[in-house]
Amino acid sequence: MLTEYSGIPIIIVWAIVFPALILGASKLFHPKNPTPVKLQTYECGLETQGDTWVQFKISYFMYALVFVAFDVETVFLYPWAIKFQSLGLFAIVEMFVFIAILLVGFWYAWKEGALEWM
Amino acid sequence: MDLSLLTIEIATVLLAIGVLVIGLLIPREQRFGLGYLVTIGLAIILFVSFGYYGINATAFEGMYYVDDFSIFFKQLILVAAVLVTLAATLYVKKMGTNYGEFFVMTVFAALGMMVLSSAGEFITLYLGLETMTISFYILTGFKKNDSKSAEAGIKYLILGAMSSGILLYGLSLVYGMTGTTVISEVAVKLAEMGSLSPAMVVGMVFLVAGFGFKISAVPFQMWSPDVYEGAPTPVTAFLAVGSKAAAFAALIRVFMIAFPDYSLQWKMLFAALAALTIIIGNLVAIPQTNIKRMLAYSSIAQAGYIMTGVIAANAAGVRGVAFYGMLYVFATIGAFTVVMNFSANTGSDEIRDYAGLARRSPLLAAVLTVCLLSMAGIPPLAGFAGKFYLFSSIVDQGYLWLVIIGLLMSMASVYYYLSVAKVMYMADPVDDSPIVVPAGAKAVLLITMIVTVFLGVYPQPLSVLANLAANSLFF
Amino acid sequence: MIDFALHNAWLIPLLPAIAFLLIFLVFRPLPKVSAFIGITAIFLSFVLAVHVGIGVIQAGDQFVEHPLKQVVTWFEMSGLKIEMGVQIDPTSAMMLFMVSLVALMVNIYSLGYMHGDQAFSRFYAFLALFAMSMLGLVIAPNLLQMFVFWELVGLCSYLLIGFWWHKYSAREAAKKAFITTRTGDFGLLLGILLLQINFGTLDLMTLGEMIPNFQEYTNLSVGGLTAIAAILFLGPIGKSGQFPLHVWLPDAMEGPTPVSALIHAATMVVAGVYLVGRSLILFQTVPGAMAFVAFMGGFTALFAATIAITQTEMKKILAYSTVSQLGYMMLALGAGSLTGGMFHLFTHAFFKSLMFLGAGSVLHAMNNDADIWKYGGLKKKMPITYWTFLIGCLAIAGIFPFAGFFSKDEILLVVKEASHGAQFAGLYTLLFWMATITAALTAFYMFRMFFICFHGEPRDKSFHPHEAPFSMAFPLVVLSIFSIFGGFIGAPWVEHGFGYYVRLGEYHHPSVDWAIIIVSTILALGSIFLAYWIYGKKAVSHEALAQKFAPLYKISFNKYYIDEIYLWLIHNVLDGLGRALWWFDITVVDGIINGIGNAAKILGSILRRVQTGKLQHYALVLFAGVVILVLIMSFADTSSASLSLLGGVR
Repeated sequence: MLTEYSGIPIIIVWAIVFPALILGASKLFHPKNPTPVKLQTYECGLETQGDTWVQFKISYFMYALVFVAFDVETVFLYPWAIKFQSLGLFAIVEMFVFIAILLVGFWYAWKEGALEWM
Repeated sequence: MDLSLLTIEIATVLLAIGVLVIGLLIPREQRFGLGYLVTIGLAIILFVSFGYYGINATAFEGMYYVDDFSIFFKQLILVAAVLVTLAATLYVKKMGTNYGEFFVMTVFAALGMMVLSSAGEFITLYLGLETMTISFYILTGFKKNDSKSAEAGIKYLILGAMSSGILLYGLSLVYGMTGTTVISEVAVKLAEMGSLSPAMVVGMVFLVAGFGFKISAVPFQMWSPDVYEGAPTPVTAFLAVGSKAAAFAALIRVFMIAFPDYSLQWKMLFAALAALTIIIGNLVAIPQTNIKRMLAYSSIAQAGYIMTGVIAANAAGVRGVAFYGMLYVFATIGAFTVVMNFSANTGSDEIRDYAGLARRSPLLAAVLTVCLLSMAGIPPLAGFAGKFYLFSSIVDQGYLWLVIIGLLMSMASVYYYLSVAKVMYMADPVDDSPIVVPAGAKAVLLITMIVTVFLGVYPQPLSVLANLAANSLFF
Repeated sequence: MIDFALHNAWLIPLLPAIAFLLIFLVFRPLPKVSAFIGITAIFLSFVLAVHVGIGVIQAGDQFVEHPLKQVVTWFEMSGLKIEMGVQIDPTSAMMLFMVSLVALMVNIYSLGYMHGDQAFSRFYAFLALFAMSMLGLVIAPNLLQMFVFWELVGLCSYLLIGFWWHKYSAREAAKKAFITTRTGDFGLLLGILLLQINFGTLDLMTLGEMIPNFQEYTNLSVGGLTAIAAILFLGPIGKSGQFPLHVWLPDAMEGPTPVSALIHAATMVVAGVYLVGRSLILFQTVPGAMAFVAFMGGFTALFAATIAITQTEMKKILAYSTVSQLGYMMLALGAGSLTGGMFHLFTHAFFKSLMFLGAGSVLHAMNNDADIWKYGGLKKKMPITYWTFLIGCLAIAGIFPFAGFFSKDEILLVVKEASHGAQFAGLYTLLFWMATITAALTAFYMFRMFFICFHGEPRDKSFHPHEAPFSMAFPLVVLSIFSIFGGFIGAPWVEHGFGYYVRLGEYHHPSVDWAIIIVSTILALGSIFLAYWIYGKKAVSHEALAQKFAPLYKISFNKYYIDEIYLWLIHNVLDGLGRALWWFDITVVDGIINGIGNAAKILGSILRRVQTGKLQHYALVLFAGVVILVLIMSFADTSSASLSLLGGVR
């Protein structure tokens, strides 16, 4: 009963064997004469500067999060806006409940200073 | 559509949002009192929930169960939440920041667990699971300045996301094979299909793995010792009882309602996992020196015991799970309350620092001893009655070998439980200063100890409720 | 109120339980408050018990066949349902009244006796705990509840005998009592388990209906049931101090005297008699077990009486007298009369606790010097104690109209009747004569003590005895009233007396056997006169008598060397066996256990290494677990043996 899945192990085996073959062949044939320049990190042809561990301002992150919350709200609002006439009163009330909950979240974020650019 | 069926959940949401709003209106330093508000609110909801026994209805066209089984587990979760929030006061105060959010996230986690225990449909189940888990990610890493807490948060986040992925994969495989996400319809569709297709087997294993992660069954338990150790202790307590119990509720509903025809297969799977979990949990607990890690391994072992009730796959087994789950709440929260108050006073979680605790605080020592002995299943305490129910439910189904493993390992567990008691009662304290226990935590300690003793001496009241829960699942 | 008491009898043991918790947890530093709580609780219990008693009497013999039973399910699972509750019938109502009354009296008495003791509160806490346990035992509707409380009273007895733990002898006595009674309890538990296995229930009523037709319900033979009864009887042998497990009871007198009066005279020690009475139907069904009970009782009665004759401490004499009287009760039960056994239990409780409290009063006055040969002439110094003690002595000697007269004659009567029965007639005839001799001996040793202590001249002038304070005198008076009039409720001229309520089977109006009355009265009076002649009038030197019968005197004085025999047995046989087992234990068992323990430890530390703390390892294990499970599930054929190996297939 496993025959219909026999493709999967074949692919797994091939996925292991093929890169091994290619990389092995390359290792076998390529010339080996490393220089300092060759060993440098390649970054768009520019010289690399400093450490990769750079601090980003946390406020970016906060803005992004609050934005996502409203983004998702809008995603829900579109289908509702198209259909709310046929859905009736219940849907309208429900959407306002939804928005109210989001607003509480927004208020919280604001009050806690997530939107202050410091 | 009768919204009154959802009163408990709606009240919980309103409580969480209300606490969040009130928290914004009062100054930061005074938000500490929100904990009491949450405790009282949850206690009222718990009280109201007793009125929901015997309704046995579904909401949203079978997507959401309001039966005795879910009510029982909701009460279990509420009891846990009430005790944890009441016990956590001093600990949270020492933690320093964001009191309000701590309690709000606790309530949200409880809400997720409630949804999980009521879910009659895969999407709802997943929503509940994620509400619970995401709240726990935040709570686990709540001590921002503590590297252990941060590490635990990250570990839990990454591994939790993986397990969620596996569970979701499993759910989608089941959906793919049956074309429905409603749990009760899955069984119907599977019966029409006849034999078990390999994809279903894979799906089932993924579900086992996903739930196994939440209940920390071996081999999906690796996260729990590190997370339990690093997380703030109240969170650990809630994580150990709440998320485990809710996951068990969902697991029981999914496997017993959706896959009753393939019980032979998943019973075998669970039997093997239960045996491994009991053995490894207990053995690794022995060499531990940190009490939170020891309790983490012991809670792994406890999950193994509870799994035996799932294997029984009948009303007796489910009753055992419900019964054991509830008293496990009291024993575990009692033990962790001792740990959190001890560390709030001394800043240590090492077992050797518990030396002479009996002299520094007789109450803490007594409660910890009672709770640990109950977990070990020493007769006059509740754990004995619980293990009795669990093991007797599988012994006549041919799982004698599992019962023997369980009993042997229970005996082994007495060793590491008693060695804590020995340190507390026999050793001399390094530091003689008494340990201050605030009133709220004292209340929790007394409640857990009294209930643990009482249910051991007179298990009938809880047994009646557990019976209701079990029978509603199998009507 | 009566109705309330009948339907809320569970309050009777609950009140002392609350008192115990209050005293132990809250009021321990306040002795006066503790005593007040203890006395109040037991007083309320007593009031309730009185109302229960009135209710039972008013109901006529309705409760005899159909007891008032209230139970809650305590523990339930397939095939096993264990209940806890209350069973009110005349027997338990009588016990409730007796236990709560004596407990109340002892509580009051202790106010004076224990005054100034360092652990005054602890004493009251233990008394309350004991009252709770004993009352809970009395109302038990099934054997399991009875066993639970049976063990609890044993624990209380242990705690109270060793109350003055700083005394070496008290500690040793407590240990001895606990271990000896535990030996019997082992048999009791075994018997209870055997009943549960064979009959599937431990409920006294249900068992009472099933046992007479046991062949319908079980595949037990008569021999099997006899064995169960005999094993069960081991418990009462231990608890009620029957030969050969009587050795702990005299030593138990190391406890404070109120404890001796309450626990080791009136209540706990009769628990064994009560248990036999409760399960009498089991013994009645198999005559062999009946004869066994009767013989043990009759033998113990005579045996202990012969020891009591030569003892020199008041409490020791009273202790052996208790053993002897308990044997009497067992004898009555063994002769098939629940009425006889319970009636003597009832009257004995009053006069024996009276005498113990009297002895306590004397000890209190004599600075706890126990040797009666130092006493003398206490009559003038302690009139209340003197007169109440005399009442007690007359009651136990069986002089008309004191309580003991009625109950003792009842026993002699039923044993005589049994000797005319179909089975074991010879044995019962022998037992009848043993009982008659015991009665005479009892009168003799009681009045020997009485005359030595209270009459004559003070032998040791260094003591300055004084009358007991009011709190101690009051219980003496109350109990002596019961010792005088307590017997009338079972007198032959009462139409619906004791036997009408407390009985098993049909009611027979007590007949009057003038021969027994005359013979026993003459014997008792003769013995009293003999005692007066030797110890009161000193017409014959008691030392000369002891010299003349030196071998007999020595054997009796040394209690038949039973303690020495046990000690020798323990030292030589048990010790040798112990040594052998110890060797086996250390080398073989410990080797295995330690091996397992070490293996577990080592395994644990190996498994612990897996926990590296590295996230990627955890993820690896997680996924590896999933893959392995999928593989196992894919290749495990559901019908193959691999599944059934793991169980699941019946």
